[in-house]
Amino acid sequence: MKTLSEWESKRRLAGLPYPKELLAKSRAEAEKFVAALGKPVVAKASGVAHKTEGGLVRFNIDGQTVGPAWDELAAAGDGAVLLAEQVKAELELIVGGYRDPAFGPLVTIGIGGIAAEIFGDVVAILAPPEAGEVAASLEQLAGHKLLQGIRGGPAVDVEALARVVDGVAKLLLDDEAVAEIDCNPVMVCQGRPVVVDALVVLDDGGA
Amino acid sequence: MNLDSLFKPKSIAVYGASASDSRKLGNTLLKNAASGAGDVLAIHPEADTIDGIRAVARLDRPVDLALISVPGERVEVAVADAAAAGTGAAIVLSSGFGETGAAGRAVQDRLVAIARAAGMRLVGPNCMGVVSHLGADRWLNGSYFWRIPTVAGGLSFVSQSGAFGGMFFGHMRDRGLGLSRFLSVGNSADVGINDALEWLGDDPQTKVIGMFVEGFGDGRRFVDIARRITAKKPVIVLKAGKMAAGAKAAASHTGSMAGNHAAVRAALRRAGVIEASDSESFFDAMDAAAAGLRQKPGNIAVVTISGGPSVLAADACERAGFKLPALSAATISRLRQLTPSFAALGNPIDLTPQCPVANFIPAIEAIYADPAIDGVVAINCGLDLTPFGVGVARGVAATGKATAAFVLDAPGVEAEMAKAGVMRFASPERAVNALAAGV
Repeated sequence: MKTLSEWESKRRLAGLPYPKELLAKSRAEAEKFVAALGKPVVAKASGVAHKTEGGLVRFNIDGQTVGPAWDELAAAGDGAVLLAEQVKAELELIVGGYRDPAFGPLVTIGIGGIAAEIFGDVVAILAPPEAGEVAASLEQLAGHKLLQGIRGGPAVDVEALARVVDGVAKLLLDDEAVAEIDCNPVMVCQGRPVVVDALVVLDDGGA
Repeated sequence: MNLDSLFKPKSIAVYGASASDSRKLGNTLLKNAASGAGDVLAIHPEADTIDGIRAVARLDRPVDLALISVPGERVEVAVADAAAAGTGAAIVLSSGFGETGAAGRAVQDRLVAIARAAGMRLVGPNCMGVVSHLGADRWLNGSYFWRIPTVAGGLSFVSQSGAFGGMFFGHMRDRGLGLSRFLSVGNSADVGINDALEWLGDDPQTKVIGMFVEGFGDGRRFVDIARRITAKKPVIVLKAGKMAAGAKAAASHTGSMAGNHAAVRAALRRAGVIEASDSESFFDAMDAAAAGLRQKPGNIAVVTISGGPSVLAADACERAGFKLPALSAATISRLRQLTPSFAALGNPIDLTPQCPVANFIPAIEAIYADPAIDGVVAINCGLDLTPFGVGVARGVAATGKATAAFVLDAPGVEAEMAKAGVMRFASPERAVNALAAGV
């Protein structure tokens, strides 16, 4: 199994809603991106697994702090730093894809967040999903009411979410070498899903 | 796929009955096969008759079905003999093949090759065989089961476990349910659950299909076949092995969170198949389907003379997503005239044991007639007043509203319900859950 970097994974999963972001290969590029965006960003080391656990994700990076952050994270990773618009979400989801020996490619939608694995609230759909199947499957989630709007907040745009799911399904169907896909988290901001991090795992024939 | 020679054979050859010891499994099989009137022949190297049935050394003419129960090392010769004679389908009940490892697997592959070269279908090996209703009081018992159902009906069952087949027959017997077909597929070397499902889908005698599944094999083919069938008849699946650990450690959250069973659930949902979570709910769903409870009702009335159990039923209704609406004002005023002043006319509706016996019938009929109600759960613990059962029977006859009952120690009530085809369940909760299965 070979894990692609976040940046590569997102290029493979073309056309999904991502935050404005840049793989900054130099300190100058990083400073220019933050200045142009005009608001704080999140900076992540590139080419490293388990970035959060390794302390390699920094929030609220602005024009003052971006330079030193780039130096540090570039050294901890593969020499580049992923900068992204910081997203404020009312809900976190996980959208994924995998292959089952009997049923072939499947996509999944789950409730995300720090307790995601404790609750294991996830529904799978045979890929590709049929028309309306994503919306119908959401009802299988124990937390499906979270998607209908929390405390008067906006409901999740199910059609937009279905397009994310379709994008994951498409990569699984187009590329036999893709074993697993994780879009985690998919942040829901004012009802709109934004794929903040993504991971594509390739089956390279190895153990 | 045509499995007519498997389920509707006119002639049968049995391999493996002993000429000297009638207690052998092969002799049970021969006796079972011969019990359904038909042309049955034993294949034996020396004997001319076994247990009164004509025996020949080699099959010298085509038969529809060969039942093979010889020791493992002699199975290949028997399969070749049946294939050479032009047999339509062979069931290998003997064990010791793919389930034992690579060597057994190689022999099993050879059996399939012999069968396919001759155009013969092969069921098993390592299975319990076939049972099928042939019309009127004629049954095919091509199985090791010495006791099979004798009530004909619309339930058919395909099992990857022979032993669960025994549980199924036990349940059928206990509930007096009617069987159409049973097939134990064993190792599924040739004929698998998908082939059987496809045939049963087109079988006019089969109204409901139950399946015990350990593995789906070609899962997408299962979905395609099942989906066509569920549009016209219910398919209920009990999948064993939900918790088995994944074959490989998952590299992503998705792989680890989805678990093994998520794909099965996705497939069954798309195919419109009803999934039973355990053997109890499987049998309850089969019962509900046999009783024709096809639509999941929305608004339920719990009708009772037994307070506590009816509250348990109401709790189960809430968990199952049913509504327990208030009856309409007209119904309540009618019930006021018929029941004691202390009767509880909310929902559950407790008519109370003190209700005048003659009033049970009109009271229950009035509840059935209420337009606010789509379905009824009837609960009666130990008050064997036949009119309670008659009221339910008449309500069902007049309105066709889905009904499930829990009846304890009230044989007269139960008999009235049984006559009307109202299914009774082993607890208040299971009655509710059977309605909720939405078969």
